[in-house]
Amino acid sequence: MPSIKLQSSDEEIFDTDIQIAKCSGTIKTMLEDCGMEDDENAIVPLPNVNSTILRKVLTWAHYHKDDPQPVDDDESKEKRTDDIISWDADFLKVDQGTLFELILAANYLDIKGLLELTCKTVANMIKGKTPEEIRKTFNIKKDFSPAEEEQVRKENEWCEEK
Amino acid sequence: MSDCSSSSLSVSPDAACLADNDDEDQQQRQPLQRSEAGSTDSYLAKDSDVAQQPQTFLGATELDDELIKQLPKEVLLRVFSYLDVVSLCRCAQVCKYWNVLALDGSSWQKINLFDFQRDIEGPVIENISQRCRGFLKSLSLRGCQSLGDQSVRTLANHCHNIEHLDLSECKKITDISTQSISRYCTKLTAINLDSCSNITDNSLKYLSDGCPNLMEINVSWCHLISENGVEALARGCVKLRKFSSKGCKQINDNAIMCLAKYCPDIMVLNVHSCETISDSSIRQLAAKCPKLQKLCVSKCADLTDLSLMALSQHNHLLNTLEVSGCRNFTDIGFQALGRNCKYLERMDLEECNQITDLTLAHLATGCPGLEKLTLSHCELITDDGIRHLTTGSCAAEILSVLELDNCPLITDRTLEHLVSCHNLQRIELFDCQLITRTAIRKLKNHLPNIKVHAYFAPGTPPAVTSGQRPRYCRCCEIL
Repeated sequence: MPSIKLQSSDEEIFDTDIQIAKCSGTIKTMLEDCGMEDDENAIVPLPNVNSTILRKVLTWAHYHKDDPQPVDDDESKEKRTDDIISWDADFLKVDQGTLFELILAANYLDIKGLLELTCKTVANMIKGKTPEEIRKTFNIKKDFSPAEEEQVRKENEWCEEK
Repeated sequence: MSDCSSSSLSVSPDAACLADNDDEDQQQRQPLQRSEAGSTDSYLAKDSDVAQQPQTFLGATELDDELIKQLPKEVLLRVFSYLDVVSLCRCAQVCKYWNVLALDGSSWQKINLFDFQRDIEGPVIENISQRCRGFLKSLSLRGCQSLGDQSVRTLANHCHNIEHLDLSECKKITDISTQSISRYCTKLTAINLDSCSNITDNSLKYLSDGCPNLMEINVSWCHLISENGVEALARGCVKLRKFSSKGCKQINDNAIMCLAKYCPDIMVLNVHSCETISDSSIRQLAAKCPKLQKLCVSKCADLTDLSLMALSQHNHLLNTLEVSGCRNFTDIGFQALGRNCKYLERMDLEECNQITDLTLAHLATGCPGLEKLTLSHCELITDDGIRHLTTGSCAAEILSVLELDNCPLITDRTLEHLVSCHNLQRIELFDCQLITRTAIRKLKNHLPNIKVHAYFAPGTPPAVTSGQRPRYCRCCEIL
């Protein structure tokens, strides 16, 4: 099976099956635009992804290599977050730093399935929490003045009055 | 969570030191009190981090206390796109940056406020209108009973790109609301005014003038609507596909004929309980609107087989037909349907009490896609009709709901026939006196997932048979 070499930001080389690498829209375009597909020794530099994250990304891509191509954002479809398969859930049992790096990598590498999965995971960390709990979860500092806080609370209190 | 907090604790001192030295941006982001924790020992380690920082999105030096700030705006918006209305409102209260993003109109393209219906009042609509602006495409305010014309005007004024608007059961709104909608929301394609009982013909005139793209409208139970409004609507909104006016007693033949004349794309028409409608308008509708797929004329009791024949002649795409209470329909009409309308999936023939087993025989041969069939109160139906149905092409794999309540002639044999309908999910048998418990049990053995709705008065069937009655009489005598 043809493979290519991916180079992480810390200069580690990953020998990767070409079909797996191509789940990244970014890599796919690079390969096709630069005619690198037939060159066994070509190296694709990925200066925005370090080796730890790239290894995880490739693990994910390997597991999902036979997934159907995700369709583009369909506005009419209700967006669900409760449909994460258990392998993915286990895969994302990582600290927040790693989770966010995976999101950024998926975004940069243009891997729709992984971006969707990671964003859903963050959405699930938000759902059902109060503003204070959300701040706590993500270590966000409250930068509202007391008056501003009261104002935004008032603006949004209707959603609590069920 | 615990991972994150421990890592941010161990790293942020470094970041603070870095900020002190050379990076003003960093300085702004770092809280001052952190610098106390920074020790000179960590400077060495820090240098290597600095070298790496540009190469990764989240260089170790940036692992400050607000990791999530590293996500670019578009990614955070993507996260928010998975959130419901309540979560978005709470995110808006987290911090200033989140406030801006959570209230970004792109997160609010589709809003359904049904869950908050009792509490939605002017200020909320105003707030939503202002944050959504042109982003809002679909809004459901179903059941928001305190919603008034002023709120709808604010909404229309701010959200010009709205396409789907559900105002059903907003009982306070009047023609003033539809006037503002027609003035500003020219892209409107669907509006639901079900049970907005103050709405008059004027509303339909406004929509006709201002919303030429309208494809779906529901004015059910708006009892003031008459043929005049419908005529205006039909003339202006020629793209109309769905029209629903359940319970509008003033909707008459003339109204239907206008729809038929000006709106050739009609696919769905529901005129339930528009009692004066007669064959003449349905025949015209059938001839002029060949795309018709769903028709409900239940309780239009004047209709006769002529309507069914017209439908069978012109509307081969018909998949749903509800004719409950059309007592003039006979086997002849359904024979015609069965011959030509092979896509029929759902039929409600409740109280078509002239039809016999022949109707079922015709449907069985002609409608292989029949999925749901209601025969309640069709009192002439017998086991033989059901046998026809179960030998038809729809029976084995498609038929999933069969309603036979108040069909007094059917017996246990009906249930024996139905054993071959593997897809049957639900069967109604209320008041089918000749059906026994044993037969239902047998059916359930063959179709374990089926829901059977039947009622057996406790104890009576075996007890009543003989010798019991005199005893009751004796009681009466004593009393």
